[in-house]
Amino acid sequence: MVVLSAARWLRSRLTDRFWRVQEVLKYARHFRGRKNRCYKLAVRSVRRAFVRSTKARREKKRFLRALWITRIEAASLEHGLKYPAFISYLVKSQVELNRKVLADLAIYEPKTFKSLAALAHRRRQEGFLAALGDGKEPEGIFSRIVRHHY
Amino acid sequence: VAKTSLTSPPWPEMPKLPDPVEEAKYHAEVVQKVNGMISAGQYGRLFAVVHFASKQWKITSEDLIMMDNVLEAECGDRIRLEKVLLVGADDFTLIGRPLLGKDLVRVEATVIEKTESWPKINMRFWKRHNYQRKKIITNPQTILRINTIEIYPSLS
Repeated sequence: MVVLSAARWLRSRLTDRFWRVQEVLKYARHFRGRKNRCYKLAVRSVRRAFVRSTKARREKKRFLRALWITRIEAASLEHGLKYPAFISYLVKSQVELNRKVLADLAIYEPKTFKSLAALAHRRRQEGFLAALGDGKEPEGIFSRIVRHHY
Repeated sequence: VAKTSLTSPPWPEMPKLPDPVEEAKYHAEVVQKVNGMISAGQYGRLFAVVHFASKQWKITSEDLIMMDNVLEAECGDRIRLEKVLLVGADDFTLIGRPLLGKDLVRVEATVIEKTESWPKINMRFWKRHNYQRKKIITNPQTILRINTIEIYPSLS
């Protein structure tokens, strides 16, 4: 028989609505209240959660850097140096350790951190002498710039 | 003469550095002692600070490192990590300015695994503008196992 249109019993029906809803609800199962059960409320909460996690990934870097700085400050104050002095004189002595590693050393390798603090302190004294002594004394040993050829 | 607030400068007194000749002798002694300790093998576990994949890592032997990028080496390849910033043991540390020489330290690692990260969801949403974009990102990751850290007594 010639048919010009689909018969009326062939309807386009959504058959996997359950799984589409579960895809969203699976991210909301640990939420509080009705938003962990009801789809309409869960959609909104899950969307906000995703957006917040993307923004938090950028803020995590700032937060961790502030944490490392606090820890290094605490450790250097134990050795009698303030954080700006410690970091600036370490950099002037050509020691390029970043804050993450310095914080780890301060926690797990106290003797190494003490030696780094002593290095910064000594470089600071040489800096003061160079500034106040007006060139009559010889240059400091730790202020020498080392040039390497690897 | 009475002391006023301007008799002495506001900074503390001039710091006194030890005599340079004596200092040089002391430094040579220390270097010899450390050289002796290294050649006699009187150190326990060594740790090193290595600059690799644009990050600094504090590593010891037998520990795992995961980096968020692709390494052009097959699984099971032995790799030597140059660019060592610091090496330390219990009694001494060698601080590089900024790097230590390649004839002083040797750090070996093996590539263990090359996988992708867990699927991270990147979503952007503006309210009241009917705008939302969802993207699933999987970064390639490489896992290295640090085999050994060796030091050689070549200080001067």
